[in-house]
Amino acid sequence: MEPSPQPMGVAAGGSQVYPASAYPPAATVAPASVVSAGLQSGQPFPANPGHMSAQHQIVYQQAQQFHQQLQQQQQQQLQQFWVERMTEIEATTDFKNHNLPLARIKKIMKADEDVRMISAEAPVVFAKACEIFILELTLRSWMHTEENKRRTLQKNDIAAAITRTDIYDFLVDIVPRDEMKEDGIGLPRAGLPPMGAPADAYPYYYMPQQQVPGSGMVYGAQQGHPVTYLWQEPQQQQEQAPEEQQSA
Amino acid sequence: MDSSFLPAGADNGSAGGANNGGGAAQQAPPIREQDRLMPIANVIRIMRRVLPAHAKISDDAKETIQECVSEYISFITGEANERCQREQRKTITAEDVLWAMSRLGFDDYVEPLSVYLHRYREFEGEARGVGLAPAPPRGDHHHHHHSVPPSMLNKSRGPGSGAVMLPHHHHHDMHASMYGGAVPPPPHHGFLMPHPQGGHYLPYPYEPTSYGGEHALASGYYGGAAYAPGNNGGSGDGSGGSASHAPPGGSGGGFDHPHTFAYK
Repeated sequence: MEPSPQPMGVAAGGSQVYPASAYPPAATVAPASVVSAGLQSGQPFPANPGHMSAQHQIVYQQAQQFHQQLQQQQQQQLQQFWVERMTEIEATTDFKNHNLPLARIKKIMKADEDVRMISAEAPVVFAKACEIFILELTLRSWMHTEENKRRTLQKNDIAAAITRTDIYDFLVDIVPRDEMKEDGIGLPRAGLPPMGAPADAYPYYYMPQQQVPGSGMVYGAQQGHPVTYLWQEPQQQQEQAPEEQQSA
Repeated sequence: MDSSFLPAGADNGSAGGANNGGGAAQQAPPIREQDRLMPIANVIRIMRRVLPAHAKISDDAKETIQECVSEYISFITGEANERCQREQRKTITAEDVLWAMSRLGFDDYVEPLSVYLHRYREFEGEARGVGLAPAPPRGDHHHHHHSVPPSMLNKSRGPGSGAVMLPHHHHHDMHASMYGGAVPPPPHHGFLMPHPQGGHYLPYPYEPTSYGGEHALASGYYGGAAYAPGNNGGSGDGSGGSASHAPPGGSGGGFDHPHTFAYK
């Protein structure tokens, strides 16, 4: 994605700056009016398209299209990821050297006092599984890094990947809340329904958003918006009880 | 830096192990901080494979991924162990691990890992057929391979070979710090549980080297070699053998069913 700095992005207070190629030329003008309208009225961006003004509808549709394109790109990246994993495994010839030490894996497994005996193959499978896990989590985190036009993968990128992917729910306690709050700088999610052919995790993530009436503006208002932020707490509380898998 | 610190840690670990041995024979040894996480060099190397060349990784991101991996192992292990207990089995198998992943939403992982496990078993079968597969062309590996007498491999087949590994770790951390190219002598220290002496040193002499680039590979090599006898032990046991030799197709079919929200 080629960087395309726009003044209104800065004016909006750190909102997502989109590359020019993502919009027709007219789109570069419309965000300004939305930002000014938002600042003047102070009203949250309506979640229901039918309640928006004509200009809001246009911007909403364009943001929706951009979001859809971005999501399709990320979906393709993930599909390519799994194809590469299978190809890599089918091409494996060295089964003696593992990318992660089996002894360490076994020790972590045994940290659970209920675990008694472990077959020799279990750490071998885990070594490969953890390799795939690291690769997938890193890829999903890097997607967030790119959305923010950075080249350094940071902890808040990992936090974003965790919040966006439901199979990572068991990791929510590893990233503190302020890292998740920073996540608001990234991809606009407020008021946007799940897209066609969604990623595995996206429908789950967006579903609660649909039920939040009048959630934040697409530009800028997302940052630290109390409604969006409050939603995350119940999820954590729900997940903590059944999935307490703390290492000693 | 890590390597210089490790011997002291190893000594502490050994002392802790000895104390526990005296107090409660069945209690697991204490988990040291550095043993709770995957080596950061290995983690970074894997991360970089999926990132563009110009990407940088912040230190807190590296540490966060380390934490996530340990949490992942504990999460899957917990589910796999529950299944074992329900079925009144004592040993967590590779199939239990794959089943747990499917149950906890990691459906995409099951197919590639089933293929990997199948190919690993083919490799192990070939290795057993010729005694052991020829070591890669590296002096240390070659030397170690030929230095292991068959009798020791046979001893490793004993029941509970899986459980044997953990207590020995502490001794061989200390031992590895003294290792200077010669085959280390058999250990003579007390452990949490009594085990045949022959099985003691095989898996762990090179564990500390996993902190270095080239040495990490060496560690991986010996780690793999260490588990070959254990696998034989698993095959020796009737139920274990049948489980480990289940048809890959059947296993794959069983795990292919999606359970995305099963644990909600």
